Amino acid sequence: MNKQLKDWMNKLMPLAALILVYLIFAFIAPPSFISLKNLELIVRQTTIVGIASLGMTLVIIGGGIDLSVGSIVALVTVAIAWLLMTGSSPLVAALGGVLTGLLCGLINGALITRLKLVPFIITLGTLLVYRGCAKGLAHEQKIDAPLSWINELLAALKPEQSWMLVPGGVWLLILLAICVTLVLRYTRFGLYTFSIGSNEQASRLCGVPIEKVKLLIYGISGLFAGFAGLMQFSRLTVGDPTVASGLELDVIAAVVIGGGSLAGGEGSVLGTILGALIMTVIRSGCTQMGLSNWVQEIVTGIIIVVAVVLDRMRHSQKP
Amino acid sequence: MYWNRPARQSFKHHTTPRCSPKGETLDFRARLIMFLLASLTATLAACNRQPSTDKETVALIPMGSTDEFWKSVHAGGVQASQKLGVNIIWQGPIRRDDRTAQIDVVESMIVRGVKGIVLAPIDNMALRAPVEDAYRNKIPVVIIDSNLNSDKSVSFVATDNYKGGVMAGEHMIKLLSGKGRVAMLRNVEGSASTDNRERGFLDALKNAPGIKVVSSNLYAGATTESAYKQSENLLAPLKTAQGEIGLDGIFCPNESSAFGMLRALQDGDLTGKVKFIGFDSSEKLVEGLERGHMDALVVQDPVRMGYLGVEKLVAHIHGKKIEKRIDVPATLVTRENLKEKSIKELVAPDIKKWLAE
Repeated sequence: MNKQLKDWMNKLMPLAALILVYLIFAFIAPPSFISLKNLELIVRQTTIVGIASLGMTLVIIGGGIDLSVGSIVALVTVAIAWLLMTGSSPLVAALGGVLTGLLCGLINGALITRLKLVPFIITLGTLLVYRGCAKGLAHEQKIDAPLSWINELLAALKPEQSWMLVPGGVWLLILLAICVTLVLRYTRFGLYTFSIGSNEQASRLCGVPIEKVKLLIYGISGLFAGFAGLMQFSRLTVGDPTVASGLELDVIAAVVIGGGSLAGGEGSVLGTILGALIMTVIRSGCTQMGLSNWVQEIVTGIIIVVAVVLDRMRHSQKP
Repeated sequence: MYWNRPARQSFKHHTTPRCSPKGETLDFRARLIMFLLASLTATLAACNRQPSTDKETVALIPMGSTDEFWKSVHAGGVQASQKLGVNIIWQGPIRRDDRTAQIDVVESMIVRGVKGIVLAPIDNMALRAPVEDAYRNKIPVVIIDSNLNSDKSVSFVATDNYKGGVMAGEHMIKLLSGKGRVAMLRNVEGSASTDNRERGFLDALKNAPGIKVVSSNLYAGATTESAYKQSENLLAPLKTAQGEIGLDGIFCPNESSAFGMLRALQDGDLTGKVKFIGFDSSEKLVEGLERGHMDALVVQDPVRMGYLGVEKLVAHIHGKKIEKRIDVPATLVTRENLKEKSIKELVAPDIKKWLAE
């Protein structure tokens, strides 16, 4: 078997897993599971984790980790609701929310590069800081906001909107995924990201501007968390400072299931999206079968461990 | 090792040609996956209790699946479903504040095509969109326990908290024979259900001119710990130099505030000297009632709430007209009626009988 074929096999692994999981549920779940409406629901429920995991893919390829995305999402929903409450137009509120995410990400990046501490520690800290900011801004309550077009972004399509195929938020996910793929493949920034994740010291010696690239990586991760927050707000219709706790783990799991390596230097956008889909399919299937939450958690856990075991086996083959 | 790799090539190709025979590794990998998937399928199939198809299926979605209160609601729902011959799916978020998880569950139930949904919304706003989506898909929704800001639900089945508060107030007047000093420890700021109980209690006391409310502005906070501290703060200024208490009656509007107050009264050696009415029940509160440390509890009936929710939903599905608002009456539990069978079932419902199956 030659190298390229093997490479493809690695890439196809998440796709094969997704198809298998889907087929299993198609077989044992109620017939409604394979309906078109459920497919739409699955992609809608994947969107929040999916968008956030695009940023995380960059971070993990770059050899880092971002634990603060869940908190950023919560802060963004609160910021959007607060802006709407104080009379801003929905467009301004949405932009404000997304920029809040970008700002949070840049702060992460600045702290990591200036203080020269591992991202795990920095983002563990900002996880609490951003969550605290969200709770403070919302006075430890949810903020009700007036309904606007933002709430349509991730809502079930009404019959007259069926020409859109999927809601706007899903289109945003697809668009962003294509952008990140192109950036990773064809830009210098993409190459630098891979190189830093593979070997930071060697990259530094080769003249890669490590600080700048890292700042940008965490900034983008924050920006995408901002978009994810916008989607979360769209679903909730209220600003909720306690929302998305633990989301970062789902996001990291999506990247890892999709073939990303926590050691850095590896990962793909397609794999990540497939990883996120696998988790939603499991959740959707279990819910429709009326299974308890604990079953879904066990199943998802097993899949994550299997993915990491495969990841390690891939690495152990290296000389 | 990473640093041995040539610059660009290695970023794209994860494996190098030099390695152990690949056929073998892949085989092992394939076998591992096959094994795990097979066991997964077996587990899921074993867990899957596919409802028989000739029965109608309805979903009962609580705020959380771990509280005693929601287990009682579940028991009531199961009771109704067995009597009416429908299938019931019990599914909710684990945490009581996980709005997104509850939205996900409602949407999944819509897609699953259940005949109707009984929902206890965590949030009066956030659950509007999925409920309206259900309405568009012609799936009727009955709201229980907490209200939803939407007119798309069929009915709202819940305890009238104001009436419960009035009940406590009237009993307090009776206990004090219409004369004395009364204090109330509030629950938390901004909780609609307990606000109504507090309002009901104070309104009822207005009918007794001999009763003076000496304290009603302290909040117990969310935990038993904070309730205990606030209870001490409430009692301290009322104590006289002789160690007597200048207070005749106390009301606490929920379980945690009542328990905190009970502890404070016990530690301050004040039990029995002050008439004490609580709201909701728990093992400790019932024990306090039995030992004479408390005088009465206003108790909700979650089993009945679950039962009525499912019953009314099924009635609506079968084309019967049902009321927009259905009250699940609260009950006054005292030491005297605690021995009665119906009251015993109320404060300690036999959940296991219905949930064990």
